[in-house]
Amino acid sequence: MIYLLTIFLPMLLAGYIYLFTRRIGGAKYIALALFVALFIEAWLTYANLLPSGYTMLGSYLDVKRFDFVLTLQVDRFSVIMLLLVSVLLIFVTLTSWSVKHQSAYFSLLIFFAGPIFGLFMSTNLLWFFIFWELTLIPIYFLIGIWGDKQRIFAAMKFFIYTHLASMLMLLAFFLLYKQSTTFDMTQIKEGALTTPALIWWLLFIAFAIKMPLFPFHTWLPIAHVEAPAPVSSLLAGVLLKMGAYGMIRLVVLMLPDQAQKYDYIILILGLATLFYAAFMALYTTHIKKMVAYSSISHMGLVAIAISALSFSGLSSALFEMIGHALIISILFVIAGIFHEKTGSWQMGDMGGIMQKAPYLATLFVIGGLAALGLPSTIGFIGELSVLISAIMAHGVWLAVIAAASLLSAGYFIWAFRRVIYGKQSKVVALTNFAIHPVVFGALAIFAILVIVFGIFPQFLFSGIDRAFDTYHLLGGLA
Amino acid sequence: MSAFVLMFFATLFSLALHRTFVFKPFVLLMIVLSGFLIFLKTPVLMYGFAQSSATNLFLLVIFIALLAFTLSEDKEINITQSLFIGAASVLLLRGTTLLTFVFSFEAVSIISFAVVGHIRSSIQADGAVKMFISGALATALIVLGLALFTFGGGNFNLSLSNIHFNALMEVGLWVMLAGIFYKLTIVPMHSWAADSYANIKPSSAALLSGIAKSVVFVAVLKLFEPFFIQTLHVSIFILIVLSVLTMTLGNILAMFQKRVGKMLAYSSIAQAGYMLMVFIAVKDSYAQIGLLYLAIAYVFMQTALYLLLDNIGGGISDITLDDVKGLVKKDRLVSLFFAIQIFSLAGVPLLAGFMGKAIATYAVVDAGYWIVALIALLNSTFSIGYYGWFIKNIYFDHSVKQSRVISVSTSAKIAQIILLGGTLFFGIFAFAVFHTSFCSL
Repeated sequence: MIYLLTIFLPMLLAGYIYLFTRRIGGAKYIALALFVALFIEAWLTYANLLPSGYTMLGSYLDVKRFDFVLTLQVDRFSVIMLLLVSVLLIFVTLTSWSVKHQSAYFSLLIFFAGPIFGLFMSTNLLWFFIFWELTLIPIYFLIGIWGDKQRIFAAMKFFIYTHLASMLMLLAFFLLYKQSTTFDMTQIKEGALTTPALIWWLLFIAFAIKMPLFPFHTWLPIAHVEAPAPVSSLLAGVLLKMGAYGMIRLVVLMLPDQAQKYDYIILILGLATLFYAAFMALYTTHIKKMVAYSSISHMGLVAIAISALSFSGLSSALFEMIGHALIISILFVIAGIFHEKTGSWQMGDMGGIMQKAPYLATLFVIGGLAALGLPSTIGFIGELSVLISAIMAHGVWLAVIAAASLLSAGYFIWAFRRVIYGKQSKVVALTNFAIHPVVFGALAIFAILVIVFGIFPQFLFSGIDRAFDTYHLLGGLA
Repeated sequence: MSAFVLMFFATLFSLALHRTFVFKPFVLLMIVLSGFLIFLKTPVLMYGFAQSSATNLFLLVIFIALLAFTLSEDKEINITQSLFIGAASVLLLRGTTLLTFVFSFEAVSIISFAVVGHIRSSIQADGAVKMFISGALATALIVLGLALFTFGGGNFNLSLSNIHFNALMEVGLWVMLAGIFYKLTIVPMHSWAADSYANIKPSSAALLSGIAKSVVFVAVLKLFEPFFIQTLHVSIFILIVLSVLTMTLGNILAMFQKRVGKMLAYSSIAQAGYMLMVFIAVKDSYAQIGLLYLAIAYVFMQTALYLLLDNIGGGISDITLDDVKGLVKKDRLVSLFFAIQIFSLAGVPLLAGFMGKAIATYAVVDAGYWIVALIALLNSTFSIGYYGWFIKNIYFDHSVKQSRVISVSTSAKIAQIILLGGTLFFGIFAFAVFHTSFCSL
């Protein structure tokens, strides 16, 4: 019952907060308390997981005819996602501490928490779809109301594009139901399907749009740039992870034979994303766009790791997902602060921020170095493990991935040169970089996590490695 | 039948009560009583929907919508006519032969001409006249079809189940369906609807597009099901082409509209396309549930939206998208009503519109036409273009000075809460519909 409340209580609470706390305030405290509670709940769930396989949490609203059953089951993979999401939500709340129109903003964040938890807990595909689609609504409003100049275009494009992905996914789910008479993803057997290839392709494109992979990525840069900074980190840290989660859970683990057949497609799109986004990041002079493309580039790495279709590949994909969420959140929020303070997005207008705001600039440098994969940060471990698992699965030629790391070193170090160090620009000289201590604290904690997990990755890996140990049947399981 | 009798006499008696303070309470009481009569026949309790009749469930939904309509509407004559539509709906849904269908269908039609007859401006005159002419044409076709069918079948009062159709009967039924498709706004018989729904008083549009159209759809499926199944080799192509054309054209044209009423009218045409799509899967076991669910969802969301439009414009029919800009700053609650009902139309989950669309689409997939389902789903993506744009006007834009939006009365808000409750209830508790069937009338 508590898990059912976890999903639906936030949605009801959101309505209450929206309509009734505008005058009295306090929405952010409620949000923070709720997200901390969700984190504790996820942690307790993690501690009480069965040693392997799914742990049943409950089953509700049983309509046998259409298999419209809210089955809540979790395994280690989904609970790790829950932990990540709750940490990200706490981070977003703290970094939005002094946002405008608080009751509406935080009610949307709280609303978002319900379906996102439902998504990772539900094994019924129909409910998976319902939660998937529901997460769009708050993000649509968050971009459309609090976004930058082109917010309306960004919000509409985001909504239409991701809705298209959802529709393909829904059709795939319907075909799955028709052919296997169940919506439960744990019950579906690939061998029993009559058109597995069609279903695989529909699901693959749907999740490739969400991740996003190269030709399907165009909704993301604009959404990232126009969204308020904390929402950008929510997009990168949670929404893209939904795509990766679906890719692993449904495209690879549920349909392993088809994945085996088409693994080169995932690999090629992953490589294309990795390099295309890296070059775009190198080209742009817009600081947030650079971070956005760096984020897309890292999702390319995740796709490459998934394409290995091996135990180590999936583990490193999950590790990279966590690393990416932590690193990119710092970068987005600080890029947003730089813009808010200087009034410009152009890296050329900044310069010498280190002299004016040393602490903030240091955090940005830590984030950037982690993103380019400096040893002793979480980024290094992520990239290295992806590289190794990819080479093990596809051959030595995949050492080209390292070149992408080089490219990211190129754009980040160049960005440091233009933004953080160098001669202080006129704009920066006139700017006061003071930020709310709560925002700074949140950033500092994430920066510390980036380093701690870089030095002691065992802590994360001990959990992650057990996430996939039940899937023995994968091809190159190593 | 008792519900029909009650509603019918309530209609007549309410005429005498016009301009007295007891009018609204009397009408509300009568609707509640008729609903209660239907409720008594079916054990409709939280988990007691088992084996109840789908027709009764749908009638209950209609009466709930009429209740909301009565609370929201200020023109007494419209309320009286809505009662009559309620009474005729009972007949239309309960009828089992072609003759009763035609009679009750015409009853709904003719009263709807009266509903749009309160003309206050030249735009409203345009809408009413178009509706009247197309309605006359539709009636002509229906009666011609009935004549052909009777001539072929040799009997005046046939039900369509368990008979063999000869060529003349088939032609007769198709002619009749062509007439019915006018009322259902199926492309190419749709163009009157885009103007009429948009130009008449929005509350009348709520009654016609939200309630009457859904009732006719469900009645058509109930009555014509054996006919479609028997002639599936022909009808399947006609139905696929018409439904795909209807939803696509409706969605595309809706994108270019500047007036809210017209956008909703085209969206209503697109929704008719989704409903017609279910007929493709007429043999499938999910078809009836799919259509019933779509119709129920549609009653709530379409009625709610047109009533809201009526409320914020004070009855004028040309509220534009510019007028609703920044509505959220004027009234958070009304904006929320708009947003949720629009999202339901767009097919956002946990709202009735999503479940309706999902089950209808699944019926088509189950029948083997996944390409048609894909087209419908892609259409749903198109529709985000204008639904999202409408939400954008309400929430993301700053209000304009010359906006004609007025504040909404409390009773209208209560009406909206009732309709919102329906949208939410049927969005989450799907068993309410799944546990019903058309068989146990």
